[in-house]
This record gives sequence, C-alpha cells and structure tokens, in this order.
Amino acid sequence: MSNLSGDTDIFSSQRIDGGARRAIVAFTAVRQDVFDGVYTQEHRDRIVAMFQALDEEGWLLSLRRIFDRDADPQAHVLETGFAHDHDIAGIFEAPDMDAALAGTVRIEQAGWARLFRTEWLIGPREFAPVPGSGAPADYRWGFIALWEWNDDWCRASARERALYDEECDSAFQGDLELGANIAGRHRLDLSHHWHHIGAWEIEGPEMAGRAIAGHESVADFKFTTSRHIVGRSRPLKDLIEPRAFSRQASLLGSTSNA
Amino acid sequence: MPECVWIHYSRPRPHWYALGKDEQVRLAESWASVRGRSEAGGALRQGSYHIRGQHDFQDVEIWVFPDSQAAFAHWDGLCAERYNEFFAFANNLGLAKQGAGR
Repeated sequence: MSNLSGDTDIFSSQRIDGGARRAIVAFTAVRQDVFDGVYTQEHRDRIVAMFQALDEEGWLLSLRRIFDRDADPQAHVLETGFAHDHDIAGIFEAPDMDAALAGTVRIEQAGWARLFRTEWLIGPREFAPVPGSGAPADYRWGFIALWEWNDDWCRASARERALYDEECDSAFQGDLELGANIAGRHRLDLSHHWHHIGAWEIEGPEMAGRAIAGHESVADFKFTTSRHIVGRSRPLKDLIEPRAFSRQASLLGSTSNA
Repeated sequence: MPECVWIHYSRPRPHWYALGKDEQVRLAESWASVRGRSEAGGALRQGSYHIRGQHDFQDVEIWVFPDSQAAFAHWDGLCAERYNEFFAFANNLGLAKQGAGR
C-alpha cells in the first residue's frame, strides 16, 4: 500500500518493520437502547470482556495509548453528544486491516449493536504520531478530523499541491505549538468516501477552535471538504451502563396490550 | 480471512470532461489493466451498474475479493493511475458473514 501523498516537514511515513500496517478503527455512535430488556448488564459485561480480549491481541483502545503505550489500556472514548448528533465517538488502533474489520463484527456481536447505531471508519496508518510541543500532555479531550480532497485539489498541478502541503504544514506546526498531539494520518478511502482521518489530543474545544482558525488562515479548506468532531475522553465502561427504565417507560416500551 | 465484497460508487469529476478524448482513452485503458490484473488474481467482478437516477453517484461496481489486502491492492492500483483524481467515489468493504442466520 502506498500513501496518498508524500511526507512533509511535519509528517513522516510510519516505519513498517516487516509486519502489516496498523489500522485505525474510528467510529461515531448513537445510543438506541429505547426498549427495556434489549440491552442488559450481561451485554455490558460481554462488551467489556471483548475489549479486554482486543487489548490482549495488541489493539490500542484510546487516543492516549497511541502516544503512550504505558497509559491505561482500558478502552476510552469521546463523549460528543454536547456538540454532535452522535453520543460518542472513538479512536482505536488494530494490529492490521483484517483484525480491524473482524474486530468491528466481534464488538457488534458482543452486544454493542443492541446499544449503539454505529458508523465505523477503518483504514491503515500512513503517517506516524507527532507529539505536541513540550511534554506530551494527557488532555482528556479529543478532536477528530475527517477530510477528502475536493475537485479543485484533484485538478491542481503537482506544484500547486506541493505548495498547498507546505501551507498546511505551517498550520500543523501551529497546532503542535499550541500543544496538540497529532496521531499521524490514516487512509479511509478503501471503504468510505472520506480520504483521510486525523485525531488529536487537545486541552478542550477552545484549543480546537484556535487550531482550526490557523488552518483557515492558510486556506487549508480550499482543497478539502472536512468534518470535525470534538469530545471529552471517558472510560468506555462508564458510558455503556444499561439505562434504568422507569416503570412508566417500561410500559410505554412494551408491545403487550396488558 | 473470509472473502470481502467491495462496493464502489463513482462519478466523473468536472475536469474529466475537459480532457481530450485520447487522454481519456489512455487513462481508461490503464484502469482496465488494473481491473484485469485483479481478476487474474482471483477477484470476481460482479458488474457495473448505472444508478444516477437515485444517487449522488453515476455508477456502482460490485467486486468480490479473496481478502481485504487484495481489495486494497486493487484500489491502490487505480489510485496509482490517478483514477481517484478524475472520479469522485465512495467505497464499502464488507466481510462475508460466517454461519447461518442473522
């Protein structure tokens, strides 16, 4: 597999030491546990056990662990409902594409599909992670950028694209100087309309706003269509507790005429 | 790994129409060559269908590959020949379901 564009001053191709490229497993998910008894504590425990199994198989289950392999191995995801029409989003990294594809099926079948309606975004790593300036901080907030080159980029000359990459690099340098940790870049184009995904650790939505303003100032978006997601990192197990249904809600959810 | 279905939606980008006929033919032949190599390697091309009437895209192609790496090699080959620069796209990759039932 080749990269969709070349290395820059900021980003360099991930070294592959004989093995397969690792693969990102990103997602957005909306809770759909509206009926009592469909998603239970048993399903929650099976999901937790599934993520423990994936950890043992070499998955990285949080943005934090992509930067620090000694960080908590438990799955962490982003709470996003305050700003988006999905409840949570997340970034995991699987050992390779096949493990990523099969892993999403295993997660769904463990009980996840009962709790969430999910869009999975899967693809191999291109560029290595880049920690922000200073000691890489554990911010507990995340920012996800999905983007695809638009028709103007596709029509541009190699020279125009190289100049554009240089301009974007200066914006990415600004992100790093703000302290954002950038988890490299992954391809999504084999199985989506998005071409790439980038994920950052950030101090909070304000840092994302300042960073994106820097990208706007170099006209980053003249050549791309983008979608941005911001959320607060929380342990997954705390966000998948079964709902406590009230007696009235249970009756409303029942198909019985009794 | 189980075999994979690969569903590929596409439509020409505006500057495709501005290319000369010879250049369009040259590019189309290079993409046909990639598709031929994939088929020779065990991929099954189910067909290409017109869907402009109900979709943002013009065509959909459906392929079955022996595994995800073969699907990626196919797409990577098309990208190397600049297919993705002349055609907008959306792709899906799906693992064959195992066992009976849902």
